[in-house]
Amino acid sequence: MSDTINYSEAFEELQMIVSEIENGEISVDDLSEKVKRASVLIRICKTKLTTTEENVNKILKDIEATDNSLQ
Amino acid sequence: MPEVISDRKVFSLIEVTESIQKTLTDRYKSSFWLKAEMNKLNHYSHSGHCYPDLVEKREGKVIAQMRSILWKSDYFRLNETFKSMLKEPLKDGIKILLCATITFDSTHGLSLRILDIDPGFSLGELEREKQEAIMKLNKEGIFSNNKNLTLPLLPQRIAIISVETSKGYADYLQVIDNNPWGYKFFNFLFPSLLQGEKSIISIISQLKRIRKVIHHFDVVAIIRGGGGDVGLSSFNNYELAREIALFPLPVITGIGHSTNETVSEMVSSKNAITPTELADFLIQKFHNFSVPVRKAEETIIDKSSRLLKEEKLKLHNEVKFFQTATRSQLLKNYNTIRGNGQTLKHQVKFFVRQESHLIHTLKSELQRSMALLIQQNTNTISQLSSNLQQNAVSFIKDQNRSLYNSSKQVSLLDPQNILNRGFTITLYEGKTVKSFSELKAGDTITTVLAEGKIVSNIIETTNSPDQHE
Repeated sequence: MSDTINYSEAFEELQMIVSEIENGEISVDDLSEKVKRASVLIRICKTKLTTTEENVNKILKDIEATDNSLQ
Repeated sequence: MPEVISDRKVFSLIEVTESIQKTLTDRYKSSFWLKAEMNKLNHYSHSGHCYPDLVEKREGKVIAQMRSILWKSDYFRLNETFKSMLKEPLKDGIKILLCATITFDSTHGLSLRILDIDPGFSLGELEREKQEAIMKLNKEGIFSNNKNLTLPLLPQRIAIISVETSKGYADYLQVIDNNPWGYKFFNFLFPSLLQGEKSIISIISQLKRIRKVIHHFDVVAIIRGGGGDVGLSSFNNYELAREIALFPLPVITGIGHSTNETVSEMVSSKNAITPTELADFLIQKFHNFSVPVRKAEETIIDKSSRLLKEEKLKLHNEVKFFQTATRSQLLKNYNTIRGNGQTLKHQVKFFVRQESHLIHTLKSELQRSMALLIQQNTNTISQLSSNLQQNAVSFIKDQNRSLYNSSKQVSLLDPQNILNRGFTITLYEGKTVKSFSELKAGDTITTVLAEGKIVSNIIETTNSPDQHE
């Protein structure tokens, strides 16, 4: 589940956990689970900031394909 | 002078052109102002002269056309005036108000010699065209389309429309690639002209190429810079602004100039003014994402450890309270028990004392009663014993008397005595004969008398007539 979540959702969920924890809505019983989840979300967000998966060759190929089809 | 050939007056070409020239020079002595559209500037860089092609159009159709001449020195002066006033050089397609004279040259023919061009008129025309473009976009209801698009949380993949060798693009990359936070951007250049009339078609065609691979990108950045403020009117072009307004990705501009905002910048999602500011804007977006994430991390660590600490303290206090409460309760119970023990001891002592007193009383009472009872019983017994003695004597006397009477009766009944009086007892086979019928002739009987027995055989039995039978 955590691998398919996109960074915007991760960001949003993270903000939710923060507000819950700030408002004292998290009990000690849930704390460990929430903190574990938050660390996964933080990792997703931080990874997104410092990596990109775009591939120049793929884009070039796509552009060429459409350029040719236009001619 | 004309020759006469075969009765005809024949002019040479030069005579004709010189005649035309003379006529025109006499007719158009002074210069005059006229307005026209400069279809082509036709600047020859080798000579430095321009031969602008002037036209007048009506409903898109050319209804008048004329060649003109702008000499090198005039061109240089006027071009500088234009660049400083309009932020545009003299170029194709602008409307101009010019001062000219009509000239005719034998080899080059008729043309207008341009002496002056009023930059104010062209400026007004450009401004009018700009306002017209804005009005048209508003009328179509698409002016704010690109502005209304939501920028992604992290505009990371950027389709860049720029010139690879331009200073603006280099400035942008410098800021983006060397950001100290390690933010990673993906830049992909779509090279295009960004100045002059040709830039319109060039930018539009690159936008169309980006549309084909749009899923690879988050945002489009139009980056220009280092070209000064000249040649930007193409960004006021309606077609280009329309393409930007309708573009499905947010468009950010960093065109780099100090003049009024162009229409293309107005309709863009964001006008960052310069390439550097555009890069800063993107990095700021990353900050806006990164800072809350970092803050979230800190908050979660801080709050959760505080929560744990609080819970620990609470538990510790509970334990302490429990210990104290237990101890005090134990003490209280101990005291109660001790108190009860004391009370019980006192009560028992008191009770024992009371009871022993009672027992003592009862004992003496019992003793007294017993003594009394014994006394009574002794009296009764002695009474009874004397009674018994008296009764026994009289009883024995009675018994003696009765015994005597009885013995007298018994002796009267003794068969011996009866036998003595002459009676006998007859026995048959050892038994007393009580009936006559028991015996018959021939039987042996024994007769018992007082002094002895007689055994006899019956000879005959005779029934007594007065007896039964």
